[in-house]
Amino acid sequence: MKQHKTRIKLANVILLALIEIKKARLKDIQLKLEDIGYRSSEAVKDSHRFAISLGKDWQSAAQQVLDKVSRDMNDFSYHLSRFKEFVSRDTVSIPALPDIVSELHQMELEFEQFRFDLAGKTISVITKPIVLENITFGAFEIQLHLNEFNKLYQNRPYRVIALNPNPAATDEDVTHPHVSHEILCEGDGHTAISKALEQGRICDFFTMVIGVLENYNSASPYVSIDDWERRGCYDCGRTMSSEDSYYCDSCDNDFCDHCSTYCQKCDTTVCLGCSYECPACGQPVCSRCTAKCKDCEEVFCKDCLTDGLCQSCEEQRKEEDEYGEEQESEPLPSVQSDSLG
Amino acid sequence: MRILYINNDGAGFADYLEIAENTTVEQFFKIKMSGANASDYMIRVNRQPVPKDYILQENDRVTITPTKIEGAVLSS
Repeated sequence: MKQHKTRIKLANVILLALIEIKKARLKDIQLKLEDIGYRSSEAVKDSHRFAISLGKDWQSAAQQVLDKVSRDMNDFSYHLSRFKEFVSRDTVSIPALPDIVSELHQMELEFEQFRFDLAGKTISVITKPIVLENITFGAFEIQLHLNEFNKLYQNRPYRVIALNPNPAATDEDVTHPHVSHEILCEGDGHTAISKALEQGRICDFFTMVIGVLENYNSASPYVSIDDWERRGCYDCGRTMSSEDSYYCDSCDNDFCDHCSTYCQKCDTTVCLGCSYECPACGQPVCSRCTAKCKDCEEVFCKDCLTDGLCQSCEEQRKEEDEYGEEQESEPLPSVQSDSLG
Repeated sequence: MRILYINNDGAGFADYLEIAENTTVEQFFKIKMSGANASDYMIRVNRQPVPKDYILQENDRVTITPTKIEGAVLSS
């Protein structure tokens, strides 16, 4: 009894959401009509300009108006055909409350994991784990937001949430070849899915969304299954298999073989951005194997520094030391009086 | 005999139809979805799955829903 009462409450929430869809559709028609009206008024203005140009024998101006009309007509016919398609769609008939209650009863029978949140106005179905071409994507929660039904013609009022995500290696927001940022790209199912929602056929809606999730269209995925486990090089973006990727310890990113090298001193893999070319020996080294020269403060590999000095600074110091020693060993010249040489 | 037919394939379709008496679900599917494979669709009558030899009755509600739909990035 309590279950039936809850079902009726939920059916009422759905009914109100469907009324919102109908209102949204009418509002959308109004906007499209205003757009058609605006485009028509532009045609009237062009007709006026064309008549003036002809009257004054401004042939070049008349041609310019004609060119504009030709361009506008292409746009106009496109918008007109879209509008015609939109208004000629089946009239949205809102189902009666008992039909919606039956729909919910059907949901309970068909989907093992069906739940709803009356306060949050959401209905959810959890799919079985999805496996496509031997890649497991885990189960998804299809979460229908009844309070977003009024945006049906602009956005999808539902989210497809990966419960045990196995995202594409190149993009963690792509959790399924046809799901990005929890939004499903419905492809061939777009019109039928929208219509099912418009007409309150919630069960058909969930069946079709699951139908998209359980299939793979290799012609148009966000990330193809072949590339699912391939990583993108952090530097150039080229995808690569895990065997071909190189991890840079310094910046914690993966790189392809073109964008990475290894430290000639400690053999650590390092990306080109984090490696240094020693100005003395010319070899690439990682930051751990470098040090600054105490005198000139230039960075060198540790092997090219002796007692903290690079070769040239060391030589310079030696020269200075030798010169100093020479100075100390030579007797000072005798002081001569002024003007005598 | 009149039935309510809801086809969720392609652009979708929902309307009342006149059909011959003693039409089975299998025959109806073949007429309406010629060339399609029944295993790629969920066929329900009055919200329930039915055997293919089920004979359609006056005012039945027949729903044909594809279960294999190709998603795509470029949908409107």
